[in-house]
Amino acid sequence: MDAKTIIDSISNEFSDSISNTLIESEIRVSAYVSSPDVVEVCRYLKESLGFDHLSCESVVDYIKRDEFEVVYHIASYDHPVVLTLKAILPRDNPVIDSIVDVYWNANWYERENYELYGVSYTNHPYLKVLVLPEEMLGEWPLRKDYEGFPQKTAKNLV
Amino acid sequence: MIEKTTPSEMIVHIGPQHPMQPGPYRLNVKLHGETVVDLDVELGFIHKGIEKILENKTYLQGITIVDRMCYLAALSNEEVFCGCVERLAGIEPTPRSQYIRVIVEELSRIQSHLLGFGEFGHFIGYASMFMFTIKEREDVLSLLEMVTGTRITHSYIRFGGVREDLPEGFEEKCKKVFEGVRIACDEYEELLRTDTIFKERSVGVGVLTADIAKEYGVAGPSLRATGVPFDIRRNEPYLVYDDLDFNVCTQTEGDIFARVKVRLDEIRESMYIIEQALDQIPKGPLFAPDLPYGRRTPVMRVPQGEVFFRVEDPRGEMGMYMVSDGSDKPYRVKVRGPVFPTMQALPPLIKGESIADVTAIAGSMDSCTSEADR
Repeated sequence: MDAKTIIDSISNEFSDSISNTLIESEIRVSAYVSSPDVVEVCRYLKESLGFDHLSCESVVDYIKRDEFEVVYHIASYDHPVVLTLKAILPRDNPVIDSIVDVYWNANWYERENYELYGVSYTNHPYLKVLVLPEEMLGEWPLRKDYEGFPQKTAKNLV
Repeated sequence: MIEKTTPSEMIVHIGPQHPMQPGPYRLNVKLHGETVVDLDVELGFIHKGIEKILENKTYLQGITIVDRMCYLAALSNEEVFCGCVERLAGIEPTPRSQYIRVIVEELSRIQSHLLGFGEFGHFIGYASMFMFTIKEREDVLSLLEMVTGTRITHSYIRFGGVREDLPEGFEEKCKKVFEGVRIACDEYEELLRTDTIFKERSVGVGVLTADIAKEYGVAGPSLRATGVPFDIRRNEPYLVYDDLDFNVCTQTEGDIFARVKVRLDEIRESMYIIEQALDQIPKGPLFAPDLPYGRRTPVMRVPQGEVFFRVEDPRGEMGMYMVSDGSDKPYRVKVRGPVFPTMQALPPLIKGESIADVTAIAGSMDSCTSEADR
């Protein structure tokens, strides 16, 4: 399966929610998805296009645009193409559907994104802190406007 | 969170400090008799905030930081970081430095597998195994020290090249060490195949099937032990792996024994790769003459953009997502370590097994908590 087929297939299937598709190289493609449809798109990717491996899920804080981007890197065990799927969320109320139903290993990635950025996932089975101490929940240390680095983080660790 | 529901159940906390663990993490195990009914993993005892630190350091300083994610795979971590920056800045490493990188990374794979293998023997109560492998590992580490100057955290790879050339007499010493490692590998294998207790502890225990391993996102030797030939060096070649001949080692059983066997085979395969690389290595400069940055430029501005790059860590698929905003520091770095999903797969894997097998199964994944926590 090559990059162009994949892009054509998802843009035809979800013409309303997929936008800004880009073929960066033979093995890297990217697309933006509107945040309510992310679970549907992931399910289609997994079941019809062979993207059976969620490689990574992360958040980028674009403070100048006042937005978060939730970035899914979805790969496959059979073909070498990695799809970078991005969903834009408002910075003041970042809520998105959890994709744990589709990709089982998204569970910890989403917990990590929740505690570090405050992105809230609906339908997540267990949205609690993973690597941070409980008392740091609510400080969202990886946001760009976090002021406790490095003094506060170091103090909390001691 | 695990809670007791009936009086016949008991909760055992394994960790955060336990001989079975390569780094601090906690397993909360709920037992009914000797059977594990439920289990959860607690992380965060060694969380260093590396992703945040990287956003506050220049690119050159970042190399020493990524080293510290996992000291066993320091060179792979450097490779993934430098690879990201090279792709963003459009730098191509020179052929000689690409070969040198392959050599040092494969050496670091050998030492990592040797330690993982020895530790695993220790976890199941075979403490002598640790002593056997640590001797060979020390020989391999001295090879690495010869090239990079340090045993574990090397800071050796640079953008577009490597810090130093291979020293005089490296090839001869390599051959001598490999002779010893080959003999040792055969001995280990004979030991594994003939030792009844080892077989009782490992054959048919902690079985992962290919479908479940894919579903859980387990990577590296643990995935290849289930029969899936997934290796980034083959599926998405970087450096000069295209020009080198190697097998992707697989087994089909998916149990603990298969995982150990895959690691042993990979040690042999890595030695074969290094020997080829030493034969084929071209002469030439370490850095391209038209490099946009000087070798030691402290402030380098990388063009705007983003990249996702993957390499094969000793433990599996290591990826990094880097966003640059055109300044001298990365805007965002996300590390996708191979151990994070592997640790996540521990609860469903261990559930239903007996308490005596918990350490064997968790230990056989060769997990590095430091990298999972970052």
